Amino acid sequence: MDKNEILTQVQDIFRDILDEESLVLTHETMANDVDLWDSLTHIQLVVEIEKHFKTNFTSKEIISWKDVGEMIDCLKDKM
Amino acid sequence: MELNTFVTEYGDKQTHHFTVTETVYKGFQLSSGDMNPLHTDESFALEKGFLGRVMYGNILNGFISFFIGECLPTKEVIIHTQDIKYKSPVYLNDALLFEARLEGFYESVKAVEFKYKFYNNSEKIVASGHIQIRLL
Repeated sequence: MDKNEILTQVQDIFRDILDEESLVLTHETMANDVDLWDSLTHIQLVVEIEKHFKTNFTSKEIISWKDVGEMIDCLKDKM
Repeated sequence: MELNTFVTEYGDKQTHHFTVTETVYKGFQLSSGDMNPLHTDESFALEKGFLGRVMYGNILNGFISFFIGECLPTKEVIIHTQDIKYKSPVYLNDALLFEARLEGFYESVKAVEFKYKFYNNSEKIVASGHIQIRLL
């Protein structure tokens, strides 16, 4: 799976969790760019991404992400 | 509390007994303002094929709130998500057994998921669903 395919699937998860069907994520999207991406929904997003991709992150990895692209890089490395 | 400690102390599942008493019923009615006849009019409920006034389904969500807030190994928790599916009606003074199994835990964000079921006296499932919490 390439990074754009991962991005598409991550975007679907974001749309579902944030109830924002028209949300478009890019590799450069940051939490501040998305209204409902706050500390509470962040947990739900991470849990759903871990479940969907059948992987586990560490707290250090999560803290290190500056944007969606870094999250996807992290996911890609685990595949 | 660390997630590993929580998971160890919680174990596979925990249970709790709840009863839908008159006080619980009236308390929910007062707080919700829901006076739908299915919940308040015995003859209406009987006419619709139920055995009596049907208790408010969201009373069960109140029981879940108690379980999460008061019965876990730590009180330092917050509910993130919760869903419920109703399977059978609950009536006044029904005694319910609540069972919550640990379904998953996520070290990275200190989140825990439970799958829960409510059983009535006849051991029939009256409601089930999932709860996701985070350790604070």
